[in-house]
This record gives sequence, structure tokens and C-alpha cells, in this order.
Amino acid sequence: MNAKLETRDAGEAGIRIIPVWDPLVRLIHWSLVTTIVLNGFITDPERKLHEYVGYAALALVILRLVWGLVGPRHARFSAFPPNPIAAMRHIRDTLSRRSSLHLSHNPLGALMVYNIWGTVLLLCATGIMMGTIRFFGVEWVQEVHEAAFTWLMISVGLHLLGVFAETWMSGVPLVRAMVDGRKRVPAGREAE
Amino acid sequence: MNETGKPGPKTKRRAIALAGLIVANVLCTSFFAMDVITDFESLGTDEAFHLTVEAGAAVVLVVGTSFMILELRRILQRNASMEIGIRAARGEMQAVIDKYFAEWRLSDAERDVALLLLKGLDNETIASIRGTATGTVRAQCAGIYAKAGVDGRSQLMSVFMEELLSEPLGALRDGAAAEAA
Repeated sequence: MNAKLETRDAGEAGIRIIPVWDPLVRLIHWSLVTTIVLNGFITDPERKLHEYVGYAALALVILRLVWGLVGPRHARFSAFPPNPIAAMRHIRDTLSRRSSLHLSHNPLGALMVYNIWGTVLLLCATGIMMGTIRFFGVEWVQEVHEAAFTWLMISVGLHLLGVFAETWMSGVPLVRAMVDGRKRVPAGREAE
Repeated sequence: MNETGKPGPKTKRRAIALAGLIVANVLCTSFFAMDVITDFESLGTDEAFHLTVEAGAAVVLVVGTSFMILELRRILQRNASMEIGIRAARGEMQAVIDKYFAEWRLSDAERDVALLLLKGLDNETIASIRGTATGTVRAQCAGIYAKAGVDGRSQLMSVFMEELLSEPLGALRDGAAAEAA
């Protein structure tokens, strides 16, 4: 028994390194970040480039949705089903410091993921509509587009807050996991 | 380590390159799709040939990308099953070690020392890890060798090497498959 514990904890101070995010998930994540920054703050909304970047974002989200159906275990929707009750439980457990570790997105993070994808899709849909003759100059389309962008910025802020809070509480550096794909789980913590 | 099937840097690079290609392809597809939509808006059906070619190109890209997605999934799945195999083999080795230690009736302290010995540490390092004197470790080693019926460190090692080499490789693989299932 003693011997067993010894080897289990033999790594760098007992940290288990578990590959979680495959290269495609990471590439899509950071590409989507780039498109959001580009279209939110850099490109001129009147210009063609804004449209190109918007289509790129649309393609990235669609690709991620396909990957959510056929991809490896942690990338699949089944690994992070949208479940508000589980999300509430996760908040409660986190506050009382007995939350379990999730190798894929945690239930609260999962809601944010779906929210961000949905918001980007809404932005793309209204953006494409604005470019069509039928909806050109139609006010509500533009208003929805702008409201969606505001909501996206709020969501990104909450997403970052969630990532840093979870990193702090669980001791798993999440940003690093999204860069090199591996979660470093501290010794003695069970992960599901 | 690579011969045992651990996914090496080569397969990892391959997966990353494939993921990059998939993203690039998908972006190209989106530009074609955008072109088809804007052209349809401005040209209507007058340029049906041009539109058909563009739409066709987009479809071909989608089909090609789908194959790449499936290929990436295959690579990642194979990597994952190899990881499981290694972990299973490691667990198996641990079980063998536990079995021998129990058979030799090593005390808890002796088990710790024996394990560190197997890992190739010298007496001074073991002493500093365990916070004991080197003399104590030397005495514990002597106890371990006596109980195991070997006359030194290399013979102790060879007990386990023997176990690894004599075992048919199939047994380990079956263990891995059982754990994976």
C-alpha cells in the first residue's frame, strides 16, 4: 500500500498531467479569440474585411460543433451537457470548496461555452443579414447585431473571471491547459 | 519508451498539423460560401455557371475537410488507447512489485526503501528523501536483500527484470485491453 502511494505521487510533486484538449479544440479556441478581437476592435464594420473575419468566426463555430459530435471524449458535447442544475451545484460546491474536478468543461463553464457559441452565431447571422439586399438598412437587425456584441463582451469578461476563479480554487492552471492541452491535476484530487 | 507505444512527438506534430489544415480548409470554405452568397445577391442567376463552380468548390472542400476530421479523430483515438495501454502496463508492474514485497514480508519502511532502490537511487539520496541516516538505509537494504534472498542491488533489480522479460508480451496487452474495455 505504502509502495503504491509512493509511485503514484512520483511525478513533479505528485501532479498528474492529463491530456485533455486536442489540437483542434485549442486551435479553434484561439482562432475564435482572434476573430472576436479583430472584428470587435480592429476592423472597420463597413469594410469587406469585417465580413471575411465574420465568416471565419462562423466557420470556426460550425467546425467546433461538428467536432463536438465526432471528436474525442473531452471535446464532445456529452462531456459537458448544458445543465443549469449541475451548474448551480458547481457554484455551491465551489464556494464551499468541495467541488469535484472536471477534465472537460465544468458544468458552469459548459453553459458559458454554449452561450458564447450561440452569441457568435447570432452575430454572424445578423451580420450576414445586414449585407443582404432584403435586410439592408433594416434597423432591428443592426440593433440585434450590436446588442449581441455587447452581450459577447460581457460573456467574455465572465468567461475570464470564471477561468481565473476556477484556476485559483481547483489549482489546475486552465489557461495553460488551453495552450498545451494538458491539465495538471494536483495530487490527491479526483477528476471526472 | 517509444517502442512501448507511447505516442511520440511525431504523432503529436502530425495531429497538430492536421488540425491546422482542417482550420485552414474550413476558413477557405467559409470564404467560398461568402462569395457565393454575395455574388448571388448582386448577380442573381445570370452567372449561374460561375456560381455553380464556386458552390462546387465549397462542397469539395467540405468533403475533403470531413475526411481530415475523421483522420484526426482516428489519430487522437489511437494515441488515447496507447496511453491507456501504458498506464495498464505500469499498473501491472506495480502489482508485480507489490506481490514480491508482500511475499518477502518487507516492513513498510523497507518497502519504501526497496522501491527507491528499484528506481536507481543511491543510499545517500534515499536517506535524504526519507530523512534518516545513511547507516539506517544501509541496514534496511541489508534486511531487504536478506528477505529477498539476493546478494545486492543488481540482483534485486534482476528479479523484476526477469519478471518483465519472461512474461509473454501478450499478457500485458490483454491487461491493457481489459482496462480499456
